[in-house]
Amino acid sequence: MRFNASRRGFVQAGFLGGLGITLGDFFRMKAAQAELKHYESKEGTAKSVIFIYLPGGCAHQETWDPKPNAPLEYRGPMSSIESNVSGIRLNQNLKNTAKVVDKLAICRSMTHGEAAHERGTHNMFTGYRPSPAITFPSMGTVVSHEFGPRTAIPPYVCIPNQPNEFAGTGYLSSSYAPFSVGSDPASDNFNVRDLKLPGGVDDARFARRRRILDTVNTHFTSREKSDSLDAVGSFYDRAYEMVASKDAREAFNVSAESDAVRNRYGKTQAGARMLLARRLVEAGSRFVTMTYGGWDMHNGIQASMNRQVPAFDQGFAALIGDLSERGLLDSTLVCVASEFGRTPKINATAGRDHWPKVFSVVMAGGGVKGGQVYGSSNPTASEPEENPLTVVDWATTIYHCLGIVADKELMAPGDRPMEIVDGGEVRRELLVG
Amino acid sequence: MTRRLVTTLALLLAVSTSSSARAESPLTELSVFPPDVSLVTSRDRQELVVQAKYENGLTRDVTAEAKLSVAQAEVAKLDDRTLSPVANGTTSLKVEFGGRTVEVPVTVDQAEADRPVSFRLDVMPVFAKTGCNMGSCHGAARGKDGFRLSLFGYDPAGDHYRLTREQATRRINRALPRESLLLTKAIGEVSHTGGERFTEDSEYYATVLRWLEAGAPDDAGELPTVLSIELYPPGAVLDGEGETQKLNVRANYSDGTNRDVTSLAYFSTSNDNSAEVTEEGVVTAGARGEAFLMARFDTHTVGSHFITLPKGLEFQWPNPSQKNYVDELVDAKLKKLRIAPSELCTDEEFLRRVYLDVVGMLPTPEEYAEFMSSDDPQKREKLVDELLERKEFVELWVMKWAELLQVRTVNNRVSYKAMLRYYEWLQERVASNTPTDQMVRELLSANGSNFKNAATNYYQAEQDTLKVSENVAQVFMGMRIQCAQCHNHPFDRWTMDDYYGFAAFFSQVGRKRGEDPRETIVYNRGSGDVKHPVGGATVEPKFLGGAVPDVKGKDRREVLANWLASPENPYFAKNLANIVWAHFMGKGIVEQVDDVRVSNPPSNPELLDELADRFVSYDYDFKKLVRDICTSRTYQLATRTNASNASDDRNFSHAMLRRVRAEVLLDAITQVTDTKDKFRGLPLGARAVQISDGNTSSYFLTTFGRAKRETVCSCEVSMEPNLSQALHLLNGSTVQGKIAQGGLVANLLKEGKTPIEVVDALYVRTLTRKPTKQERDNLAAILAEESENPQPVLDDVFWSLLNSREFLFNH
Repeated sequence: MRFNASRRGFVQAGFLGGLGITLGDFFRMKAAQAELKHYESKEGTAKSVIFIYLPGGCAHQETWDPKPNAPLEYRGPMSSIESNVSGIRLNQNLKNTAKVVDKLAICRSMTHGEAAHERGTHNMFTGYRPSPAITFPSMGTVVSHEFGPRTAIPPYVCIPNQPNEFAGTGYLSSSYAPFSVGSDPASDNFNVRDLKLPGGVDDARFARRRRILDTVNTHFTSREKSDSLDAVGSFYDRAYEMVASKDAREAFNVSAESDAVRNRYGKTQAGARMLLARRLVEAGSRFVTMTYGGWDMHNGIQASMNRQVPAFDQGFAALIGDLSERGLLDSTLVCVASEFGRTPKINATAGRDHWPKVFSVVMAGGGVKGGQVYGSSNPTASEPEENPLTVVDWATTIYHCLGIVADKELMAPGDRPMEIVDGGEVRRELLVG
Repeated sequence: MTRRLVTTLALLLAVSTSSSARAESPLTELSVFPPDVSLVTSRDRQELVVQAKYENGLTRDVTAEAKLSVAQAEVAKLDDRTLSPVANGTTSLKVEFGGRTVEVPVTVDQAEADRPVSFRLDVMPVFAKTGCNMGSCHGAARGKDGFRLSLFGYDPAGDHYRLTREQATRRINRALPRESLLLTKAIGEVSHTGGERFTEDSEYYATVLRWLEAGAPDDAGELPTVLSIELYPPGAVLDGEGETQKLNVRANYSDGTNRDVTSLAYFSTSNDNSAEVTEEGVVTAGARGEAFLMARFDTHTVGSHFITLPKGLEFQWPNPSQKNYVDELVDAKLKKLRIAPSELCTDEEFLRRVYLDVVGMLPTPEEYAEFMSSDDPQKREKLVDELLERKEFVELWVMKWAELLQVRTVNNRVSYKAMLRYYEWLQERVASNTPTDQMVRELLSANGSNFKNAATNYYQAEQDTLKVSENVAQVFMGMRIQCAQCHNHPFDRWTMDDYYGFAAFFSQVGRKRGEDPRETIVYNRGSGDVKHPVGGATVEPKFLGGAVPDVKGKDRREVLANWLASPENPYFAKNLANIVWAHFMGKGIVEQVDDVRVSNPPSNPELLDELADRFVSYDYDFKKLVRDICTSRTYQLATRTNASNASDDRNFSHAMLRRVRAEVLLDAITQVTDTKDKFRGLPLGARAVQISDGNTSSYFLTTFGRAKRETVCSCEVSMEPNLSQALHLLNGSTVQGKIAQGGLVANLLKEGKTPIEVVDALYVRTLTRKPTKQERDNLAAILAEESENPQPVLDDVFWSLLNSREFLFNH
């Protein structure tokens, strides 16, 4: 609000008469020169992010925040195990993950107020509460906007597809939209379509096509203006680069990995997606979002967890181990998140319902200090107890690792400056050094 | 005190900012709000707001400058701008400003009596206003810090119980009311996570204290309910940043009384960049733009439309020709905003646009030649009429309806055969131009086998009672009522009572197996109720925002259908008119089309009302509506903008560039390459638009955003560009394969066309225009490099045209 005041002062002080510009011009100029809070984004400790999203609202009790001492109706039917960091226990299904807890920061005090899937999902992808007036960009889009592509690989990729509308571009140009891999890397004949030139078209002919296409496009693009038109143009440019780059195409080729590596991750949906995410980060992607499973377990939570968690556990532990062995973990921030947790008490159908008041997220690598539990929930896992972690602080911390000051303002439609995250603080305790 | 400060500030601003533009424009109207005052009991008060309207359309809050006087001081008295009662009787308030006078009738009743304090009418609103029962505070499902209030007050009895009985009256102190935790926490005297909600000298404190002093009673007997609220002024056009306007809110109760509830209303704005609002209801103008100011009180939310213009803006209305009522109403809004519409689009642009929009195809070279050579001044209107009679028009709208009605196969529920029957039912209705109201009535009241009366598949595509009722509200009324399943809707008027009352219409849908294992028979069970989750009472069927009908011995769905698809339902015709409008204009008057709510108002309500009225008067023949839209000047505007409308994206001052939707784009590629597609259940050569099943798709269709019809949400159809689309058009089998398969270039060469004539023909086919001289010269130069064998180069020209942005967009 302070900044609103100063903007207003600026406008009142500006004398428009005599300058020969219209007010529209003036506003555009104002936008361009920016009375914006500006900070230069410089790569931080995390060069890339692997954002593992568990859609549906993953129960914290049956994963990262077991309550072995709580009464049965809170504790639930499952047991917990000790990890390689003494005192930190995880659900019984997270056997492999328990061996890499020294590399993880398990945040057990995540909290927000949105109990509907789409609203909670909005929070976790954008760092903002949903607004009736504005659609916010996802974190992947902001990263893409701040840094652009590093190589011919798209800066923001979704595996297997963009999971929801909030993973999109919001008020930023759709040219910062994610690239969807389009099919499941776990399937036998997985490949990303249309990366290679079609038969009969060599580089020379492709160059001629591009020349002709430029001729055809010039007339239209010089007459018409629209964000979505520009976005198509930028996607064509990105496509040209990808088509020309062997490295980029190869990054999607999961079968280039040895069997040993593929088996380590598990030839499951979870494992294959995490392996592909690692390859993409290695090849230069800045933000890889992957989803796995459906976690909206209103009924029979134990059976559902037993079905979904083991594959996640194997893949996740392999990802952390593999990144670490390759020396990539220090520069790759791995996040596990979900739209909310689930109700403290087991319900009448042996499941749990939506619960945003407290749940868990995990961070690892990219400047995050491992081997710690950050924050805590109360004994029934129903309220945050220590260090409640808000969405804005969590998002601000992720941006901080990437080298983006989340207080920076970007321009939304209507010449409306919006902070990347509104009012978040970096949680230093989560970070190394 | 705050209010006085604000008024002073407003005065200062008014003085310091009065510009020459305003001084020149004469005063045309003086309005006083509310337009009449009724004061009942000695406690009643009414604050007044005075608004001046000038000839140039600007408005100004002149409350502080106007001269106010009461005719009979023995009846009512004026304290600054607030009226209070003195004795029973009638009088009038005289308001003078700028040479004009307005008289406001004032009545006073029960002036001797004090109004007793009411928990539900006085105290509950304090909880709402000061945020106590918000979702992030005590309104959360499990409360906050051990104390729970129902979210936005949907359960007053429960709230009273929790305040007075729970934890052994710890929260209130009847002996020492001021020591009640309820008050000491609220004023921050005792540690409170939510901090100070109000101060000890506030009206809120006084109300709660009065209730505590009265013994903290719940209300006995029948209580008046809030029937409606009014927000004043109903609109404003503010002259630049810093201008202010005070709002006033009045609630009307079922006992015929009303109250000034401005201090108890919750204010919000749809666009704080153009108009900010304080909790006291003072609006301050910001950047140029529109904003919808909202006030919520009880379960009611109402809005007021504000426009902020740059101070002293010079504007000349260009006075463009108007073809019909659409243009008149669009222009009326544009004039207010001081935006000049773009010019008309060219014949070529119109031809391409109207083909894509009305029939989902491109004009053939012959159709192009005919239209372009015609010098009939009515040729655009005639073309619209002609296209409306084509079967492709029907097919396009069958597809749109199939999305709304979720025509798709569902495992173990809707077999392929049933889905097909459902699709055919729909197709038959649209093809025979069945009035839309009739079609919807047939659909919603359908009974019988889902093979024989395929409309019953509507109740197969979705079987959950609550979900069915949510879908009906979303598709046919454009409303998302989901929130009200668990609590009163925070951004709209819908309460839980409304939600379950509406759901009760679908509580008696019976389903049983038919002879064929894939067959289901939908019937009226004649029994079955919906229970309210608070209290568990049976909820009687009630129309959304309407009456409680007599359903005894009737099929509840039939009763609903008869109301829903009738002018009695204020939303039905508007919603359909808006869906049709959005298809042709690229954006709804309410956008998204299925997100009608108080807090998402139409950009041009007069236009939407008129379209809906016409639709009703046309007996729900939507073809006539399409004709009105497509022959309007507004539809025929160019996409290119001028200085005044460049940033407008919701008032239809220029055409919008729209990416062609997935099915139509694929069909267009197929059409211009002279090839054929094969889709499940359709003969070779059928178009993607004709695919019946939401689950039948192709890589192309999915990548370009075809809806799977898994939900009724209009957001399922995606128009967003992405990298996969670019890669597919560049390298994928669609463009490359179809050019080769169709052999069009070879055929044109065989006909004896020169390479440059082939280029011309390809342009007309794909872009509905001839190449420019520059384009022709550039392409001739490239062709000259390969003069021996022009075909590959021409194939590349074809490929480029299909990859061009001009081809991908409707413009």
